[in-house]
Amino acid sequence: MGEANNKPQKKRVPEWLNNPMWSAPAPPATSATIIPPEDPPPRRVVPPPPPPKPTPPPPPPPPPSTARSDPSEETSFSGASQSHLIAEFGTALSKKVVNVGELQRLACQGVPDLPGIRPTVWKLLLGYLPADHALWPYELEKKRSQYNAFREELLANPSEITRRMEEKDGMNEKDLSSDEDKGFLSRSEIPHGEHPLSLGETSVWNKYFQESEIVEQIDRDVKRTHPEMEFFSGDTPFAKSNQESLKRILMIFAKLNPGIRYVQGMNEVLAPIFFVFKNDPDLNNEAHVEADTFFCFVEVLSGFRDNFCKQLDNSIVGIRSTISKLSQLLKKHDEELWRHLEVTTKVNPQFYAFRWITLLLTQEFNFTDCLRIWDTLLADPEGPQETLLRICCAMLILVRRRLLAGDFTANLKLLQNYPLSNLDHLLHVANKLRGALPG
Amino acid sequence: MVLVLALGDLHIPHRAPDLPAKFKSMLVPGKIQHIICTGNLCIKEVHDYLKSLCPDLHITRGEYDEDARYPETKTLTIGQFKLGLCHGHQVVPWGDLDSLAMLQRQLDVDILVTGHTHQFKAYKHEGGVVINPGSATGAYSSITYDVNPSFVLMDIDSLRVVVYVYELIDGEVKVDKIDFKKTATGHS
Repeated sequence: MGEANNKPQKKRVPEWLNNPMWSAPAPPATSATIIPPEDPPPRRVVPPPPPPKPTPPPPPPPPPSTARSDPSEETSFSGASQSHLIAEFGTALSKKVVNVGELQRLACQGVPDLPGIRPTVWKLLLGYLPADHALWPYELEKKRSQYNAFREELLANPSEITRRMEEKDGMNEKDLSSDEDKGFLSRSEIPHGEHPLSLGETSVWNKYFQESEIVEQIDRDVKRTHPEMEFFSGDTPFAKSNQESLKRILMIFAKLNPGIRYVQGMNEVLAPIFFVFKNDPDLNNEAHVEADTFFCFVEVLSGFRDNFCKQLDNSIVGIRSTISKLSQLLKKHDEELWRHLEVTTKVNPQFYAFRWITLLLTQEFNFTDCLRIWDTLLADPEGPQETLLRICCAMLILVRRRLLAGDFTANLKLLQNYPLSNLDHLLHVANKLRGALPG
Repeated sequence: MVLVLALGDLHIPHRAPDLPAKFKSMLVPGKIQHIICTGNLCIKEVHDYLKSLCPDLHITRGEYDEDARYPETKTLTIGQFKLGLCHGHQVVPWGDLDSLAMLQRQLDVDILVTGHTHQFKAYKHEGGVVINPGSATGAYSSITYDVNPSFVLMDIDSLRVVVYVYELIDGEVKVDKIDFKKTATGHS
């Protein structure tokens, strides 16, 4: 194909895309509504222990015939093939040494929404759990106690910290009642020069006040996370405790990573992980949801850290470069669309792709669909960043007719409120876009 | 962990132009939750300055305060502790610990903060603890000219109080502390 021509070469859309089999069915009625994911889908025999139901009337669980918007029910998958998938997962997970490649292949087809499967699968995919079952207790114990150490060390307020300093130095607390009844109270030395108004760089008090800004930012963002979900925003002690957990995780991450600290949006990347792990019915994991979530969050973020670092914005690893990779991908697979979007209607990908990429699509689809997309993101052997770009590209290609007909305003509006009609179709298309980018 | 600043007897502008610079550089807004002031500011500008450090400001009247509307005494509860505030010129003999102890019992507080003598004191008796933060500007008092600027910052943490004493000695800020706590049922 001649590339250096001046005449715009109309690159045709690949044939398989025009196959009538892929004409999307009407969007399911429940797709855009708020469906509390903790309601069990109909085929589950024993519902997992639900989180305590809040007293204000929650949305009634959908009647079994119209389940949550599970796209796999919509397509031609039969019940039999779904239960076959479930069986395969069962086999894969119960092996003494899990075959991670096999698990990846399975997870790309979507992790079944049965209790306990997704948390375990994600933990294996992220490398939190080693492949060998025998090592699980050791690894979990190690990581969980490490998290608890972080919690104790990093989240203590300066009063507690200075008290510990004194105890270590061997000074005991003087008990008021053990002193004589009357008398002048003696003044003692402050431990290590620490006092609340200290302006010293290394002072625990000073650092505490400097970090109070981050604490406030995290607090604000956590309160705004998924306001439509009882799990995160309900007026219940359960929701409040979930928010406290999220705050602790983000705070500890910020303290351990002074180079990046906390950036708005991290709360959105954290939320699905926490949700999935918290809904794990396995009682052994119940007390350690925070610890498990923390390490998996770190792992997920590790592929995308550079997107959050402002200084790297314009560098070769920053968000701008990632967005331009998306551009290139689109150009390669659908040049007509690329040209119409970026050149003709001047829809700069930064206007829509920024949020798609940095927040790993958590804001573009409903929560259940997000979890399904994340199954693929975490499982695909090409790695989450490449997979994400392919999915984004597929998102564009699937609405190409509307985009080609639209102008700047219409296209931007469409892409900032992406209408998903068929999730499996989207992931199938994304899968087809594999292959190395030219040069 | 509640930080309470206790200070007083600044006597601005009559006996001192301002707080010492080294104190001012440490007293920044956003750190302190409450300010209790024994009195003798004496002018509105000082009131406004303290208000800018912390919106929760409590002041009792000193004999030279220009604003005559400050109360003679004040009590407030912070965490598990009841605090009392009184300038102290009303209690005769001035600075007499037994007389102050009587005032404390009258006000029924765990910690009585009082001033007037411009001398830092921290004294414990059966009724509780009396703290005199001294003069924050080092202004001379009726009793003595030799006054080191001082103030107090209390860290109240459930049943425990750490009293940080800030004193300007020979141009340098010296900080030390006093720990005490109260038993849950009351103090001995």
